[in-house]
Amino acid sequence: MNYRDVFGEILADHHESPRNWGVLPDCTRVEQGYNPLCGDKVSICLLLDRDSSGSERLARCTYEGEGCSICMASASIMSEMIQGKSIQELQGLIEAFREKMQGSDEVFLLPAEDSGEDITALYGVKRFPVRIKCALLPWTTLKKGLEAAHAK
Amino acid sequence: MNSLIRKDFPILARVIEGKALCYLDNAATSQKPKKVVDAISRFYLETNANVHRGVYHLSQEATDAFESVRGKVRRFLGARSEREVIFTRGTTDSINLVASSFGGMSIQEGDVVAVTRMEHHANFVPWQQLAKQKKARFEIIELTDDWRLDPKDVDRVLGMKPKILAVTLLSNVTGVTNPVASLATRFKMAGTTILVDAAQGIAHSEVKIDDLGPIDFLAFSAHKMCGPTGVGVLWGREALLEKMPPYQLGGNMIAHVGDLDSEWNELPHKFEAGTPDIASVIGLGAAIDYIETHGRTRIEEYEQSITDHVLEKLVQIPGLRLLGPTDPHHRAPIFSVAIDGVHAHDLATYLDMEGISVRAGHHCAHPLMFKLGLPATCRASFSFYNTFEEADMLVKALAQAPSFFARRRN
Ligand SMILES: Cc1ncc(COP(=O)(O)O)c(C=O)c1O
Repeated sequence: MNYRDVFGEILADHHESPRNWGVLPDCTRVEQGYNPLCGDKVSICLLLDRDSSGSERLARCTYEGEGCSICMASASIMSEMIQGKSIQELQGLIEAFREKMQGSDEVFLLPAEDSGEDITALYGVKRFPVRIKCALLPWTTLKKGLEAAHAK
Repeated sequence: MNSLIRKDFPILARVIEGKALCYLDNAATSQKPKKVVDAISRFYLETNANVHRGVYHLSQEATDAFESVRGKVRRFLGARSEREVIFTRGTTDSINLVASSFGGMSIQEGDVVAVTRMEHHANFVPWQQLAKQKKARFEIIELTDDWRLDPKDVDRVLGMKPKILAVTLLSNVTGVTNPVASLATRFKMAGTTILVDAAQGIAHSEVKIDDLGPIDFLAFSAHKMCGPTGVGVLWGREALLEKMPPYQLGGNMIAHVGDLDSEWNELPHKFEAGTPDIASVIGLGAAIDYIETHGRTRIEEYEQSITDHVLEKLVQIPGLRLLGPTDPHHRAPIFSVAIDGVHAHDLATYLDMEGISVRAGHHCAHPLMFKLGLPATCRASFSFYNTFEEADMLVKALAQAPSFFARRRN
């Protein structure tokens, strides 16, 4: 048995080959997320602008971090999903992910089948309740970052 | 020694997700023998009343049961008087009591308050903040590469004649036992008041005040030595305790309350404000009885053989870093490990899937972890009811961890 057998190819791949890794010079906001219990850390760079209709969106996002495989895979998967999305869409994604991970209804299987959407691979982390917060950290950090950028 | 002992702990027979519980997180809290749980429930079912209050018979029975544990603790520690035994909520509470009451009365601007690099937050943060409030100097005794107190740094701090030295008997991260008696002897000559954190030490070896040299305070929790959560002990030298102001104010700790001022009750009640966790104190008494029935020496010998066994195997695992001495002397069966390229949380989840319960995290020792440059480690800690089979399960799982976490080759 190995990591891939348990957590699946998708999580392993995002952990080993993180997408959108790095810092964005001249970004609108850098938000740090930290879990003092286990030491997981992410730092997310957000570049906001307005689309042709004038509504605000996330033009580009990168991140760096240090932590367990679940936190790092979650950050990588998130970074692929959120590029170019409007603030409203982002809020919807964050809330939907939180609900999937903390809601009581479904229990997902690991390793996840490839459903075409990498994020579904994270849902299986519910099998390890203490690890849910690892998966959530990048998303709560994104939420804080968007709110802080807005408050300015 | 332990097939019979294991029967005393019903929880050890649990099967979780199809695997027998292999509990190796004893440094966080030990399991409780049935005798302790029974003593607590018997108290609630048969003897429950508040203590030091009523004149009726039942209250006297409860008070006698409660106070008899004070006597038991006194004998257990080899202390001179029951006036020196204060019941607290735990180690953390005991240390905060001393930092606030003794620290508050004795530390002045420019004084030195000293701790070591291996302290738990409970024996670090109260002193750090005391020093900050009083504009005192806060000094940390550093470690050698072998995880022990660096003798040169001990000398450096000793030369500053600290007012207080707070030191752990046994590290909850590295398993190192400190030479407290010789430290205490040397620091006492420099006029230092010495507090010993025995939270871990009390679980692994006999702790007698007189064997620890001229120390002034000793703190421990019941829950790490087969007792319940919610109660701990502060032992202090009577002459010092007499001089110290109360820590918390309220019922039981007063002798007389006037409209404008109050007088304090005598020791140890001066430091026991409010209704204590009576049932847990009864449970602590039962835990002491339990440990003494099995004998501290036998427990120590058995744990030493587990330590020798695990160390011998762990050092042979390629890629595994042991964050503690490889020398089996003066150390307890507490093993913090790290595997290159594998985060401690992933490692702990993997061990959990193998049926092994260990702790992953910073073990409330940020100052040490920071020095190590590691955000977290995995820690396996044994008790006398753990078996050699469990030790071998751990070793085997750790040996296979690198292949479990092997990355795909590009
Ligand atoms: C060395 C040490 N000191 C202090 C403590 C704090 O004990 P408690 O949480 O019971 O107050 C612990 C517990 O983890 C410990 O290991």
